[in-house]
Amino acid sequence: MNRGSIGVTPRPTTLADESYLEFITSFRRLAIQQMFPKVAEHGETRLAQAMENGAVKAEGGNVPLTEIQRIFAENPVTPTFQRFVRTQQEMMWRRTRESFFRDAGGLMAWMDRAAAEHPERLHIDPEFVPPEYTRREIHCQPGGYTDDPLGGVVYHYGTKVFYEGFNDQDELHRELAERATPPADGKVARALDIGCSIGQATTLLKDLYPDAEIWGLDVGEPLVRYAHARAVDHGKEVHFKQALAEDNGFADASFDMVLSYILFHEVPVQKMREIIAETYRVLRPGGTFTIYEFPSNDKGQVSASTRFLVDYDSRNNCEPYSPDFVAADFRGIIEEAGFEVADGPALSNTFLQSLVATKPA
Amino acid sequence: MDEKPAIEVPETLGEEIGGQGKAYFDDVVIDNILDALLELSAAVWTYHDRVTVLETVLAEKGIEVSDAIEAHVPEPDEIARREKERMALVNRVFGAFLRRPTPRGPAGLAAQPQTGDDT
Repeated sequence: MNRGSIGVTPRPTTLADESYLEFITSFRRLAIQQMFPKVAEHGETRLAQAMENGAVKAEGGNVPLTEIQRIFAENPVTPTFQRFVRTQQEMMWRRTRESFFRDAGGLMAWMDRAAAEHPERLHIDPEFVPPEYTRREIHCQPGGYTDDPLGGVVYHYGTKVFYEGFNDQDELHRELAERATPPADGKVARALDIGCSIGQATTLLKDLYPDAEIWGLDVGEPLVRYAHARAVDHGKEVHFKQALAEDNGFADASFDMVLSYILFHEVPVQKMREIIAETYRVLRPGGTFTIYEFPSNDKGQVSASTRFLVDYDSRNNCEPYSPDFVAADFRGIIEEAGFEVADGPALSNTFLQSLVATKPA
Repeated sequence: MDEKPAIEVPETLGEEIGGQGKAYFDDVVIDNILDALLELSAAVWTYHDRVTVLETVLAEKGIEVSDAIEAHVPEPDEIARREKERMALVNRVFGAFLRRPTPRGPAGLAAQPQTGDDT
């Protein structure tokens, strides 16, 4: 049943599962890297022509999304791309869940053992009930982040496929941690990763700041338990806590540094405001908040093809909150909370925006 | 140590990837064909991979199997088992046609696939 791991990533429980999921990875790479650029090029060209001849007009600096949808749909390849992306996602989750369910007893026992071995680093309130807005099956993952006890390992292998093989050994998360901006005085005694999922960046922060107390926080108990067990296996002294990022329970000014990776587009805008305010509260003066996130389009800064893709992703990959996020003045909202905001370090994934918000000293 | 977990793990779950799913073409048969194509391709690769691994393992043990494979005549039990596995493949590849067996609209059938534009 347990076929070991591929470096730091779990291996599916049968060769057939692994071969099937590797096929999905290769197919996804074709769909996203080769097929979508052609859909985008065709749509952008047709849209430019339609604007030139007056058939489509921008409103307030933005082409209406309905016009982008209409123009892109004229390409008969567009629904094929949409079909392929949706189907590979369903196939991926179905087979990943099926594979790791075969070893459900072993996986649950592994997490139980880690919890018994280091209970001081696993912080779960048995009375905590995840609010309904957090229980959506984001990315179509069965049970979402909260409702599948195997959600951690399923998320881990599922995102291995999602990243098309480029994050098998946490390469992406290493970059996130390495490029997270420490306070100007360089003092990092305590750092927090909000929306940490399975703690990939969290544990890498510990490598970078070995003397600091590192915390990962997520709403999903299955993710937190998996993150904790993984950190114990890797010999990393990292704390993981199940809590809401907008109500994290930490003391005022108790962290030097906070990190978030693609968290905010997965929450409603009101929750985004609350999370930013809560993060401001727990940062000490001079503390930094590094944010890697979906792009914002509040000033018409995103291309039509990216808007098409984000819109498709929202409705077909269970991202119910991302359209409102993309339309919001994200940077302005962070500034309203009291932060000084600057552009952050560029990432290899150029789709994402990178910001560093500093709490004034 | 007792390996029985404290938390019960459901065998199946997930509303997003269940049910009839989404359709992206006016003619839902095209959706079905593309789903089948993907499953078929994944199955072909999976078997290809297994044969590659099998031949590699055997070769490592000094066993040459090509001639024996061609000469092999199955017994009834093996025939039945292979037929069962073949039927499972047929169902997996062509399951899409059972999942969305009707076109979108008109009304009259209780369950209809969503369009890709449905939220």
